[in-house]
Amino acid sequence: MLSIKNLNVGIAEKQILKDFNLEIKPGEIHAIMGPNGTGKSTLASTLAGKEDYEVLSGEVTFNGKNLLEMSADERAREGVFLAFQYPVEIPGVSTTNFMKAAVNAKRKHQGLEPMDAKDFLKLMREKMALVEMNKEFTSRSVNEGFSGGEKKRNEIFQMAMLEPTLCLLDETDSGLDIDALRIVANGVNKLRDDKRSFLVITHYQRLLNYIVPDYVHVMYGGKIVKSGGKELALKLEEQGYDWIKEENSELV
Amino acid sequence: MSLAENISKQFAEVSNSNVVELRKNAFTAFEKLGIPSSRHEEWKYTNIKTKLNEQLSLTPVDSQVNAAVKNYIASLPPYSFRIIFLNGVFHPELSIVPDTKGLTVCSLREAFGSHTTLVEKHFGKLINYNEEHFAALNTAFVNDGVFIHVQKNVTVNEPIYVQYFFTASDINAFTQTRSLAIVEEGASIQIAEDFRNASNINVQYNHVSEVFVGKNASIDIVKLQLEVSNAIGIHTLESQVERDGKFSAATVTFSSPNTGTGSAIIRNNVTARLIGENSHADLNGLYFGKENAHIDNHILVDHVAPNCTSNQLYKGVLSGDSTGVFNGKIFVKPDAQKTNAFQSSKALLLSNDASINSKPQLEIFADDVKCSHGAAVGQLDENALFYLRARGITKEEATQILTYAFAHEVIDHIHSKPIRQFLCDKLKDELKVNF
Ligand SMILES: Nc1ncnc2c1ncn2[C@@H]1O[C@H](COP(=O)(O)OP(=O)(O)O)[C@@H](O)[C@H]1O
Ligand SMILES: [Mg+2]
Repeated sequence: MLSIKNLNVGIAEKQILKDFNLEIKPGEIHAIMGPNGTGKSTLASTLAGKEDYEVLSGEVTFNGKNLLEMSADERAREGVFLAFQYPVEIPGVSTTNFMKAAVNAKRKHQGLEPMDAKDFLKLMREKMALVEMNKEFTSRSVNEGFSGGEKKRNEIFQMAMLEPTLCLLDETDSGLDIDALRIVANGVNKLRDDKRSFLVITHYQRLLNYIVPDYVHVMYGGKIVKSGGKELALKLEEQGYDWIKEENSELV
Repeated sequence: MSLAENISKQFAEVSNSNVVELRKNAFTAFEKLGIPSSRHEEWKYTNIKTKLNEQLSLTPVDSQVNAAVKNYIASLPPYSFRIIFLNGVFHPELSIVPDTKGLTVCSLREAFGSHTTLVEKHFGKLINYNEEHFAALNTAFVNDGVFIHVQKNVTVNEPIYVQYFFTASDINAFTQTRSLAIVEEGASIQIAEDFRNASNINVQYNHVSEVFVGKNASIDIVKLQLEVSNAIGIHTLESQVERDGKFSAATVTFSSPNTGTGSAIIRNNVTARLIGENSHADLNGLYFGKENAHIDNHILVDHVAPNCTSNQLYKGVLSGDSTGVFNGKIFVKPDAQKTNAFQSSKALLLSNDASINSKPQLEIFADDVKCSHGAAVGQLDENALFYLRARGITKEEATQILTYAFAHEVIDHIHSKPIRQFLCDKLKDELKVNF
């Protein structure tokens, strides 16, 4: 599904990702953990196609296609979804209108007619229930005046609407209280199936109690320095990142 | 013949001679002022002098109501009140004015005869023909326009829609139209003035509106300049607001691709003078410039009385090599304590060749006031664009959606629901946004 080979990425003249490698198969959940500033968001944003990040070398294939050749919007229509670490406020555009444009962009890409208004509203209702989002949010401007938790729920709601095959969750858990965390995790778990893969970036083990990963990777200095099962996350929770930093002091 | 000689010859021939003294005075003033050149501070960025034809003809020429005109009229939204002018000439057979208690809507020509005292008391009283070139010219030559009078405590719920439609391709015509609206104490009304020219038609016009807002009265006026191409349009809107009155003006300008050789120049002068305590003015504007269009908004809120509030919100979207001018004045006179005045001007430049000259001008002579202004010129927010694209929306559509959101704020401020809906559709159409 996703194959990243020797990926080197820089921003503002500074190299962040260094010979990064990762394979994700359909239906798998991979967690990426690591200290701040290690390049986790850089990885997610590069995969989503943010142009500020410069791919210096390497390959990324997504469902057999060269992902790096596609524009950000093309990637999204092909099934890549980034749940932003910092969702953007869009004053003047309601969530309903935003989703209508996004859903229909994808349908057009698939050669389908725009969705019928009634079906669309039904879909909205269904997916909002998934993340326990109040219907008043649909008429409000996207993310404007939303609390941190509401913004993150909105990301998962959009993910549910667009039914991507690769979901990149960038610190979706940060800033969430325990109830919101449970709601978000529940939403994600309901979207799990054997075709949809997840890359869950998180700073804390906490989220992984709810979204149980198949693999846990530790990122440091722009690459994966350790991989394991879900028990690796528990070890990090107990011992912190110091042992990782010591073992890999040559990387930074 | 020079332009000055040409105009003075035509004045000698003006036959319609209501308010004769005023017209003579205005003409004398115009002879001194002439057409402003770009050396004049208020016309620095809008060089009108070189654009106006020397052989201007100031008397309107009526034209046939042909099938195209009929089709156009039929395409208008079904407003209850519809007043139609073709090439500056009133067409009663195309207009609809339902009898409404306490409301008079008729042509200005008719009002000179039927409401003589009222007209003479108000006509020309708000314009300063000694300083304003085009208001002076208009006063001297005005042929016709609309007269609206709302009696005390009468509320008119439907908008009065006035259409100035140009169909005659007379490159020499410089049409002078005028409206006068008097809204008495406690009354309220909504007015839309819509200026349009048929495609491929070159037009030049100079329109003046005078608006009197009585005590505790309210007027919402929307000026529509919707398919501006091949046009030189000069608009002056002067208003005076008495105690507890509310005046709201929105000027919406859309330029369309130039189909001919003409210029696309729009100049708006909008003034609200708050002469009674606790009165309020909203001056809003939205303009879309394309290709070589030039859109100039000069606005002024004059705080004369204390305890008044005002808001100015102007937004522009400029593409091609279009140019915008924004000059927003706030005057606070010595007696106008506790004034609260706010101004915001924002412009989106969608191409490298588009530009705007933006100038706030605050002159404050009272000490206990709150005045603020902000101006922003720039591109769409990159983060917002990326967010939309990350959801599969193409860059082009994301740009349209964000531009729609930017512009829509101004339309949201329009009180008349049918006009707001009409503009909302127009905006969607313009930006090809389909939600
Ligand atoms: N726009 C940018 N300009 C310059 N440096 C950046 C930019 N974005 C991120 N960086 C740098 O790249 C490094 C990795 O950042 P990031 O990928 O956000 O880390 P993480 O998500 O792991 O905390 C950091 O050192 C950060 O300062
Ligand atoms: Mg990050």
